[in-house]
Amino acid sequence: MRAIRSLCWIVPLVVLPILVAGCGPRPAPTQTPTAGIPPSAPTATPAAEKTRITIVIPEDPPNFNASIFDNGYDALVMELVLLGLADIDPYGNVFPELAAELPTEANGGVVVHEDGTMDVTWKLREDVLWADGTPVTADDVIFTYEAIIDPETGLWVPGIDYIDSIEKVDSHTLIIHYNTIYPSYLTQFGGEQMVIWPAHYCDPEQGFVAWDCGRQPLSDGPYILQEWITGDHLTFVRNPNYYQKGKPYIDEILVKIVPDDAVQKTMLVEGDADLMMWVSEAIVEELKNEPNAKVSIAPSGRWVMRLFPNLAARGTIDPKSTPHPILSDVRVRRAIRMAIDVDTISKNIFYGYAKPVWTEFFREPYVCPVPRPAYDPAGAAALLEEAGWKDTDGDGIRECHGCLNAPEGYAMKMEFMTYAEYGEPLELTHQLIAEQLRAVGIDLQLTVMQGNVLWADYASGGIEQHGDFDLNLWDDGYAGIDPTDFLWEQYHSSAAEPDAGWNVVRWINPEFDALLEETYTLDETRRKEVFCQIAQLLEEELPCILLFTTINADAHSARLSGVQSTVNDIVTWNVADWKVVP
Amino acid sequence: MGTYLIRRVLQAIPLLFLLSIFFFALVNIVPGGPLAGYGRSKHIRPEKAAALKRQLGLDKPLVVQYVIWLVGNDWMPPVDLDGDGIAETRGTRRGILRGDFGYSFTTRQPVLKEIGARVPNTLYLMGITIAVALLAAIPIGILSAIKQYSFFDITLTTFSFAGQAIPEFWLGLILILVFYSTLSLLPAGGMYTIGAPFSVGDRLRHLVLPVLAGAVGWVAWYSRFLRSSMLDVIHQDYIRTARAKGLSEWVVIMRHALPNALAPLVTILCLDLPYLFAGAVFVETIFSWPGMGRLYYQAACQRDYPLLMALLMITATVMVFSNLLADLIYALLDPRIRYD
Repeated sequence: MRAIRSLCWIVPLVVLPILVAGCGPRPAPTQTPTAGIPPSAPTATPAAEKTRITIVIPEDPPNFNASIFDNGYDALVMELVLLGLADIDPYGNVFPELAAELPTEANGGVVVHEDGTMDVTWKLREDVLWADGTPVTADDVIFTYEAIIDPETGLWVPGIDYIDSIEKVDSHTLIIHYNTIYPSYLTQFGGEQMVIWPAHYCDPEQGFVAWDCGRQPLSDGPYILQEWITGDHLTFVRNPNYYQKGKPYIDEILVKIVPDDAVQKTMLVEGDADLMMWVSEAIVEELKNEPNAKVSIAPSGRWVMRLFPNLAARGTIDPKSTPHPILSDVRVRRAIRMAIDVDTISKNIFYGYAKPVWTEFFREPYVCPVPRPAYDPAGAAALLEEAGWKDTDGDGIRECHGCLNAPEGYAMKMEFMTYAEYGEPLELTHQLIAEQLRAVGIDLQLTVMQGNVLWADYASGGIEQHGDFDLNLWDDGYAGIDPTDFLWEQYHSSAAEPDAGWNVVRWINPEFDALLEETYTLDETRRKEVFCQIAQLLEEELPCILLFTTINADAHSARLSGVQSTVNDIVTWNVADWKVVP
Repeated sequence: MGTYLIRRVLQAIPLLFLLSIFFFALVNIVPGGPLAGYGRSKHIRPEKAAALKRQLGLDKPLVVQYVIWLVGNDWMPPVDLDGDGIAETRGTRRGILRGDFGYSFTTRQPVLKEIGARVPNTLYLMGITIAVALLAAIPIGILSAIKQYSFFDITLTTFSFAGQAIPEFWLGLILILVFYSTLSLLPAGGMYTIGAPFSVGDRLRHLVLPVLAGAVGWVAWYSRFLRSSMLDVIHQDYIRTARAKGLSEWVVIMRHALPNALAPLVTILCLDLPYLFAGAVFVETIFSWPGMGRLYYQAACQRDYPLLMALLMITATVMVFSNLLADLIYALLDPRIRYD
């Protein structure tokens, strides 16, 4: 009996938390009851009612400032509420947002000085208002710039070091003084990652990376953030004062956090979700026959799956004094490329959606005519023979017999590493490439690493920064339409120093360094020419072996129109133009 | 009893202190860091990394980082936050001993705010899941003990092994497929219909599937446990005495056997208390439930050290005190046990 009485003890322990929790989280009581759509009757919205779409993403955006974390979810919601000076469309064309027009040399907006500096004059639209009615002015641009360059609380963003100062001319005009020629000036305060922040609303004391207005932004874009229940959803309502009159067309956007992609897909199929970001090839294939779902594929890919051959010996960073025994010979790198059958990988693993890519310049506006290398295992074998890698003991693995940088008899064995987070398609690709290279006598030991171990900085023991690898496989690419920063970081000799950049294959080439210098010109014809010279050089030297781009696609419900997937920005880049068709 | 309690609480302090050192070392020793794979580009620009490192305090030696985490840096000499080599900025951190758990690396929000938003959701889901599991497990456990080796017992044994073996994420997806996709009876996830006014019915509809997916494993675990402790009890002499007195089987089981068989289960239940806070990562992921399990998982993947440390410390504290609670309750339930 006593035991039973004492058991009453436990009852409050179990029940109390439930009661407490039951009174816990509530949605803010701000919405009309009609907005609630029961899951069993998802699309039954009478004509007079508000239009509402649901975007499903797997995790909360960290905030609304995509220049800090840039995991894409921040950019997605940033595009809903904030504007930059200019943005980029899916085909690589820049269009003005806050700017009245794009400054160019032709219209006098850009003045190049003889000392190699330039001034860019931006004229802002006068009809853009923050949600509290305050106009967006030149002060906001200057405020944003000053917040970024604040040495304590600011952040590095591309090209920020090229600006000497920003001068206010009048309330809606400003001049940016550059200390060099900066070809990307049009999208520096716009594009995928940057927007202009309200000077009268954000607290500069809190700083660019941490300010509260990054979590509760004051909108000047098509939508206004109404509520954010962390881990659950964000609700956005139409901005009635949006500068493009009549837009946006959709009244309300619900961004719902649905971590599992199988559940996301089911919700899309059942009509409870209208947009699913970044769908994989497998899901694109599964959605093919679903009447309720459509897929928008970007005009080009962005992430190029590629091999990183370490040109320096493992654990060293100097390709001259300690060359890699196998990979330092360009003939070996070329043979590796010839031995990989990209079309089979695409067809068997990526449902044919992976597109072969063999040069960095495959994307508008910089496309260079580099002929596609042939898949030729016999040719690869012959090239390896020529390079002094022969299999004399008949074990199917080549050894060095008169090769360039390895001792006689050195077996052609290497570690082949990739990262875990991508998941099954990359694992299969990893295995298939190893099989294909084994067929020409190169033996690869497969390793799968966590990305944040592979790409950690030197001090944290990053594998690539330390040069502690032979051959790595992963996907890389760049935001926006200007490849210069990416090329610098990937191939420039000064980026080969630990923690200075990401030239982790340690490719040192003064010719490349000089060519990259030449791309800092506003003469687009010249720029294209130089980029294509770089393409030629990379083709000859093969410091990286590019294989294919993976798909960049977003799935949406059949009732939602206007969605256009893009690699230059995030899918919500044109959200104001989206419509719901009944 | 009082001195015992005080002694145990005092013992917990050095234990938690040692644990904090262990956790801090552990999260930092794991290769990689919060800045690797920052965002989508995989490669963070060194200039950006340097600024972030200073702002997040990652540029300091580990021991200093630990001291700041523990007791703050507002009393320390100024630090160099702008990277110009001159230390001019005063620290603002107060350290966890003064209730400051720091800011999440990812969201820059106070860690306690991040956790505070999730704890009620997890208590709500896990509380009901465990309560439902108990309601099912107690009768199952009793029945399969008193009808040992019967058809009923064997069937339930089979099901409970299956229940423990079935992965929650698989079961969750199947439940969604059946009850959401095919039958259109229940929602696919979330805690409530967004935008709809509060209603108990709506809350319950959203609870059914996650509770079902989560409870299956618990039912199996508790019922197996109760079955074996019941079996221990019903073969003891005093039960035979009770039967010999001519008491009905119901009274024998419910009044004489059950209370004693339940005592160990109560202990187990106390030891499971940390789950009320830690949540269940698979159920939360499949059913889009904004709970602690997902927060844990994200913090670990993103190497969000302040958030991860806070989560680990809170769980450890709950763990230590639920152990204490288990001991105390056991003493209350079993008069043979005394703490002096």
